[in-house]
Amino acid sequence: MSRSTRKLILPGTIAALIVATVLLAPLLPLQDVRGMDIPNRFAGPSAGHWLGQDDFGRDVLSRLIWGGRASLFIAVGSAIFAAIIGTALGLLGGYFRGAVELVTVRAAEIILCLPPLLLALLVVTILGAGTWPLVLALTILYTPNYTRVVYAATQQVRGLDFVTAQRSMGTHPMKILVRTILPNVLPPLLVQMSLVVASAMVIESGLSFLGLGVVPPTPSWGLMIRSARGAMEVAPLLLVWPSLALAGTILTFNLLCDRLQSALDPRAVTAGGALWLRPRSAAAKKPATPVEADADAPLLEIRDMSIAVRDMELVRRVSLTVRPGETVALVGESGSGKTLTGLAMTGLLPDTLRVTGGTAHYTTREGKAVDLAKLDEEGIRALRGDEVSMVFQDAAAALNPVLRIGEQVAEAIRAHHDLEGDALQTRVVELLRHVGIPDPEQRVRAYPHELSGGQRQRAMIAVAVANNPRLLIADEPTTALDPTIQAQILQLFAQLKRDTPGMGMIFVTHDLAVVAEIADRVTVMYAGEVVEEGPVAEVFERPRHPYTAALIASVPEGGAERLTAIPGSVPSPRQMPSGCRFAPRCAFATERCTANPPKAEHPAPGRVTRCFHWETVT
Amino acid sequence: MLRYIATRSLVALFLVWIVVSVVFLLLHLIPGDPAELLLSQGNVAADPQAVAALREQMGLNAPLWQQYIDHMTGVLTGDLGASFRDGAPVIEQIALRLPRTLEVILAASLIATGIGVPLGTYAAIRADGKADAVISFFASASLSTPVFVVGSVVILIFAQKLQWLPAGGFTPFSEDPLEHLQLLLLPACTVALSLLAVITRMSRASVLEVLQRDYVRTARAKGLPRNPILRRHVVRNALIPVLTVLGLEMGTLIGGTVLVEFVFNWPGLSGYLVAAVDARDYPEVVGIVMTISVLFVFLNLVVDVVNALLDPRISLVR
Ligand code: SF4
Repeated sequence: MSRSTRKLILPGTIAALIVATVLLAPLLPLQDVRGMDIPNRFAGPSAGHWLGQDDFGRDVLSRLIWGGRASLFIAVGSAIFAAIIGTALGLLGGYFRGAVELVTVRAAEIILCLPPLLLALLVVTILGAGTWPLVLALTILYTPNYTRVVYAATQQVRGLDFVTAQRSMGTHPMKILVRTILPNVLPPLLVQMSLVVASAMVIESGLSFLGLGVVPPTPSWGLMIRSARGAMEVAPLLLVWPSLALAGTILTFNLLCDRLQSALDPRAVTAGGALWLRPRSAAAKKPATPVEADADAPLLEIRDMSIAVRDMELVRRVSLTVRPGETVALVGESGSGKTLTGLAMTGLLPDTLRVTGGTAHYTTREGKAVDLAKLDEEGIRALRGDEVSMVFQDAAAALNPVLRIGEQVAEAIRAHHDLEGDALQTRVVELLRHVGIPDPEQRVRAYPHELSGGQRQRAMIAVAVANNPRLLIADEPTTALDPTIQAQILQLFAQLKRDTPGMGMIFVTHDLAVVAEIADRVTVMYAGEVVEEGPVAEVFERPRHPYTAALIASVPEGGAERLTAIPGSVPSPRQMPSGCRFAPRCAFATERCTANPPKAEHPAPGRVTRCFHWETVT
Repeated sequence: MLRYIATRSLVALFLVWIVVSVVFLLLHLIPGDPAELLLSQGNVAADPQAVAALREQMGLNAPLWQQYIDHMTGVLTGDLGASFRDGAPVIEQIALRLPRTLEVILAASLIATGIGVPLGTYAAIRADGKADAVISFFASASLSTPVFVVGSVVILIFAQKLQWLPAGGFTPFSEDPLEHLQLLLLPACTVALSLLAVITRMSRASVLEVLQRDYVRTARAKGLPRNPILRRHVVRNALIPVLTVLGLEMGTLIGGTVLVEFVFNWPGLSGYLVAAVDARDYPEVVGIVMTISVLFVFLNLVVDVVNALLDPRISLVR
């Protein structure tokens, strides 16, 4: 039994108990509801009257139970009536559309234009107080709730293939509706049901409290509270009992609704929070004491870094080196772990993922060596956006929609420098001009949605280079753009490299054509592992891994429509082959490949391959 | 932007027209004669002559379309008819009482937003922790307790037992500002409690949603400290749906403060409505229902426009 189902038990049991008690009221050994005992009015609890006696000396406990019976009868009754009518309207409207939709769904929605209590009052004005007018009012009130749910579900289902098929086979529409659609809408209907019972009780008790609902002498919680108010000084408990009963019952049904919802639709429950927001989070790593780096240390040296979600390894023992001024392309299909590797360098991995091993030594401006993989949130924050920064793939999503472009760039500068006012503004405009945004003086005031896709990506880049980073990580920065814009953005990166000679760059991409254009070295990843590494020219000239070879072969050359996609797909982390991870898709695979995983080998200085048969690969 | 507001206003006007027509039709098409209903007390049949006279006075003898046009002209010129009970123009009473109701709602909204947004944000930051569980339960509990129960219990505690505040009543602000505010406090807090629950829940959900967004990651990538990220990126974006809900809730409250006004003896619009319903005073009921509905629709319009101002993307969508 899942956790969400287990959580249903408590409210479910209480709700069942409440319903059982009021159903069995006539059989329970209760005092007479209407039996007055004026001499003992306001008497406290006694053996005969467990909860005491009210202003007419009537037994409070029995009135409480009978009152609940009236309240629940009205609430459940109208919830059921509304469910039947609302479902019918929703089904008809959703299935037939057109005029039928207009008179069913749209008409029901007009009811939603009126405040609920008001509508109930209106009905009571016309019909007078009493149980049945209340049921009618509540039924009208809640019908649209069901109509909407069923209508939406019907809309979804009616387009499905099997429904269309049944229809073309001549099955009567009514039959189709009942057989295929009803079971589908049942779960959301159940949720609505408990919700409606709860809110119907609120309105019923409110109207009864006003004296416009249940008519005395029928007991009702609303009425009991009404009369207890008058005797508040003498017998405050008389107010407490029905209040507790009412609030408790409504709470039970509300909880039932909440938990039904999460049990029936687990997706609706969002993953909780963000660890980085919690100051002393359990995930806090020990801060590494910075040491003096070697004079010839590379900018970044990742060694054997692994990343895992729980016990599932997504990135395994990746090594990668970036020297100042060097651009390293990180290539692979989606799911290869290339983006995760990039995110780990800025401490921006999703909460569920952790770096489980290895090091990522980075040499700071001051010449200190720090391990990016082990820094705590505060430590990495100081570097992030200043020394190490990141350009994301989808600029439309990565820019805050409600802040002006200028503010978003300014913010990046202010996070690390004390720059204010005009100086800051000048710097922002300068940056925007630098990344090629036309008319930057005006554009600083634009919102992201007012820019074109290419300009948004330029703004994103401006944010990333605002503090002259020493290591720029670009995560598929051109993927979301169309080809001409792509070329322009690549030119921008090339220009940035020329302007800042010492800046190292990790360029994450799945596009080998881009690699040839921008990178000095290339690291190819497959299924979480580095499979090949080397200088771009050499690797393209003579790939030493079948996967790289296949990737290169799939690049359309000179406009030729030669796109040899690699058959098969990346294995899921749950079902990694025990031997070479590429074996299932490899044209060179032998028995040896499936038996043991290959180790990294060095076919030439500066080259790495993870393949047994690298010598035969062409 | 202007075009957007114009379209939304047209839709709102259309809705108002529908509501006014529906209310009119409800009262005229239902079986039973309003005049007779009005004059009959309990089971005693009404005097036919009086009924006839009243029908004439109410204009019920004219054809339906004629009545409809009269009714609509009245609404357009602000003439909502005269009360059956005392013959005073309905519009006067509404003008007198509506501000009082709005005052309670406004005060409650301020209290609820002021506490609810930080509380919901905190719950989201601590999602699935103990604090979150406590806040969630508190929200469910206050949502489940009808306002008249809260109001009655609040009176029992603060007015009866502790004697800190008066149990209810009304003093115009111009007469005694302090007393006015004292009297306002309990009803406002009572209304605020359930509103607070709604806003807390909504803020929590909304903050959790925004935390997953790419732009929050971008903000972190800039190296911004925690609080500026929360303030400028998370809460600011999360507020948009919260304000929408607040607007809709305020709309519902305009008709829903009935119980609070009754409990605290606050002479607002809703209390007037109950009295009118009780007396079956049609012009009053129709006038109040229409005022509230129009406000309701208008408030939704305001919510849309404010949303469009807060989120510059919206106005482009349609
Ligand atoms: S080790 Fe074998 S299966 Fe793996 S890439 Fe090399 S040849 Fe292919």
